[in-house]
Amino acid sequence: MRTYVAKRLLLIIPTLLGVASLVFVIMRVIPGDVTLLILGGDQAGRIDPAQIAAMKRRLGIDQPLLVQFGTWLWGVLRFDFGTSLWSGRPVVEELLIRLPLSLELAFAATLVSVLIAIPCGMLSAVRQDTWVDYVIRVISIGGLAIPSFWVGILCILFLVIYFGWGPPLEYTPPWVDPWANFQQMVWPVVTVGYRYAAVTTRMTRSTVLEVLREDYIRTAWAKGLRERAIVVRHALKNAMLPVITLIGTEFAFLIGGLVVTETVFTLNGVGRFVVDAVARRDYPVVQALVFLIAFGFVIVNLLVDLTYAWFDPRIRYR
Amino acid sequence: MAPRIQRHGLAVTLAALAVLVASVVAATPAAARAAETGRRGGVLLAVIGADPPSLDPHQESTFANIQLVAPLYSTLLQIDPYGYPKIVGDAASEWKIAPDGITYTFKIRHGIRFHDGSPLTAADVKATYDKIVSPPAGVLSIRKNAYTEVASIEAPDPSTVVFRLTFPSASLLNNLASPWNVIYPKTYLDKDPNYFKTNVMGSGPFKFKAYTRGATFEGVRNPDYFVKDRPYLDGYKFFISPETSVRAAAIRSGRAYIEFRDLPNAEVEAIKKQLGDKIVVQTTPMTGQFGIAINNAAKPFNDVRVRKAVTLGLDRYTAGKVLYGITGLKLVGGLMRPGSEWAMPEAELQKLPGFWTDAEKSRTEAKRLLAEAGYPNGLKVVLKNRNVKLPYQDFAVFAIQEWRRIGIEAENRPLETAAWFNDGQNTGNFELIIAPTVEFMDDPDQFLGRYVTGSTQNWGRYSDPRLDDLFSRQARTLEPAERQKLVNELQKVVLENAYYMPGLWWMRNVVHWAKVKNYVAQPSHYTNQKLQDVWLSED
Repeated sequence: MRTYVAKRLLLIIPTLLGVASLVFVIMRVIPGDVTLLILGGDQAGRIDPAQIAAMKRRLGIDQPLLVQFGTWLWGVLRFDFGTSLWSGRPVVEELLIRLPLSLELAFAATLVSVLIAIPCGMLSAVRQDTWVDYVIRVISIGGLAIPSFWVGILCILFLVIYFGWGPPLEYTPPWVDPWANFQQMVWPVVTVGYRYAAVTTRMTRSTVLEVLREDYIRTAWAKGLRERAIVVRHALKNAMLPVITLIGTEFAFLIGGLVVTETVFTLNGVGRFVVDAVARRDYPVVQALVFLIAFGFVIVNLLVDLTYAWFDPRIRYR
Repeated sequence: MAPRIQRHGLAVTLAALAVLVASVVAATPAAARAAETGRRGGVLLAVIGADPPSLDPHQESTFANIQLVAPLYSTLLQIDPYGYPKIVGDAASEWKIAPDGITYTFKIRHGIRFHDGSPLTAADVKATYDKIVSPPAGVLSIRKNAYTEVASIEAPDPSTVVFRLTFPSASLLNNLASPWNVIYPKTYLDKDPNYFKTNVMGSGPFKFKAYTRGATFEGVRNPDYFVKDRPYLDGYKFFISPETSVRAAAIRSGRAYIEFRDLPNAEVEAIKKQLGDKIVVQTTPMTGQFGIAINNAAKPFNDVRVRKAVTLGLDRYTAGKVLYGITGLKLVGGLMRPGSEWAMPEAELQKLPGFWTDAEKSRTEAKRLLAEAGYPNGLKVVLKNRNVKLPYQDFAVFAIQEWRRIGIEAENRPLETAAWFNDGQNTGNFELIIAPTVEFMDDPDQFLGRYVTGSTQNWGRYSDPRLDDLFSRQARTLEPAERQKLVNELQKVVLENAYYMPGLWWMRNVVHWAKVKNYVAQPSHYTNQKLQDVWLSED
């Protein structure tokens, strides 16, 4: 087990190096220039070429690419992820403003999803081809087919038009004012959680159905075990491996991937931050965020892999 | 080319101007003109579409900067909040222009204090304008080219600032009323000229309270503001939300009371329908024009006949009717805003290619010109654009279907902002590209500088000595009628040669709750943002 974990941790290094190099190259290949965006303002304002050159020098983006990459990597080794070209503030400082919100949204949506999806998926499988199964399938396919941001927009319009009420525009951490936090977060959590639950429900249903057809389940039925014991103790636990993998991947995605939902609900989250940074050609921010998100993915995947043994004791780590 | 000073009637004009202006005591902007009595208290909640790169207006040119920080600062002069485009004092109580037209003397109001308690003096104004006009190494000043006529700035005593020019300037007062030229304390500038990129120390009606990037920006009432009993509000708070429909929903739900920039007509109608007389919509013409830059340096647009054909192919009068409802683009005009004092008279404009009222006649002429230029069967072009729906995409779609009628097949190629900027300004990698023009007021120097050889705003990459000469002369012509002639002449040269293709002028919808009082929307979304006289009739 220890060797396995050590190996996986060591593998993180080339993975992250690969991600960093790829993002660095991609960001430099796409056309566009942060200095033009800063100096140009709203509508192609007057820009003095000398000032562009001066700003590039000040931001350090006039250096050869290898020097820029080396400087950045050296900073990362010292946990210094650089300074935003756009705002002039340290990337980590900017990230910390947004991270609590994204983490809360990811945790809450995951919780909602798991609480809904696993019982529903299980029920749908056990009651296959009954009205219960049909209802759950229709709702879950709806969740897969309808984009979250559209559900979000509908939610907001419904509230605004029929109740003259909209969610608060500013994030309040739950430990500061739980009620204000609830009012703001409940809608994005519901909209994101719906899609997430739909995916997880489908996966749970499929895997439980597969397990229910295994010989050992048939044996359990033949032994006269009760349905609850068969489903919960024997089927569900074995059906969980793919579901756990899915939940882990989705959780990691939620931290940085909810750009549109964050925009719709005026949430100042990591997803919006990444996309804004790409649009602004804010290289240090994009590099740092993709690097950290990749790191998050790798760690979550490792944790998911480690939980496999708990669900299936036959699994051995080498 | 050596600049020529316009001397026609100069002495008479300057003398009259000097007498007139010397008597001006620029009272605090006419708060007293408000019909209702203001109510103290309340926090103005607003929504805004973006974060600024930095907090220093000297280094920025986006509404996302100025709308947030304008209430925190004083400027030397300002545009009258109730009487655009009149110039009134802010930190300056009065000013004189010497008869030679090259010495401007400003008196600084007594009793203005920065938020740290230090007095605002002439030394601060001088330090501020020195930073703008001749910034030290490593400091940006993106408007320094607007002050090329300024030879020196002096502060002979704490309440006097003198600007000495190299030539009489028709636009200096306008430029000194720029909302971007906020006054900084000299002591801070001396320590770090870039201090204000991330910090605030002003003397405006509000003090800086908090800024969370991507989320909120807050100011709180300055009890020591130099105007007695102002501001009315306890504070103001902006919520930053990039999505238009979300900002509109915030107004509808009452989470925000105002959106200062502009909301599309569809959203405005929905808000009005739901909230009725609880909502006020101020619709004003805007100092912004949506047009298309034509790359004069590349085939086929290095041929004036092809350039003329594309401008003739756009029926602007129909465009104004069709696009207004969905984009806010409405008014047909030349290079200066229609309705402004500098606009070209309609009769004159309608003689120029692209502005004929008979669209069929224009199309016939466009086809003839294309055939003459060697394109009897039309041609294919790429129209580069910004990937922003309103009004970029809608305007492009209209233009493309118009051009199809004269045989030009244009492909709309949306680019994200950085690439759009890069292709338009940096590399010139385009045939046609949507290129809007937005300035803070209707001033020929602001709007026409882009047509001069070598201007970084000259995306079309043309060079016409007549334009350079006309621009230079109008900038030095103080007599308005004479200046108007030069401005018209310059517009004619641009439009007759189709160096650039103006589209439509924008209308601005400022939507706010009726309880927001005393805010007058001006033609620019950069001006009248100090909020000193704004009040709330209820919380």
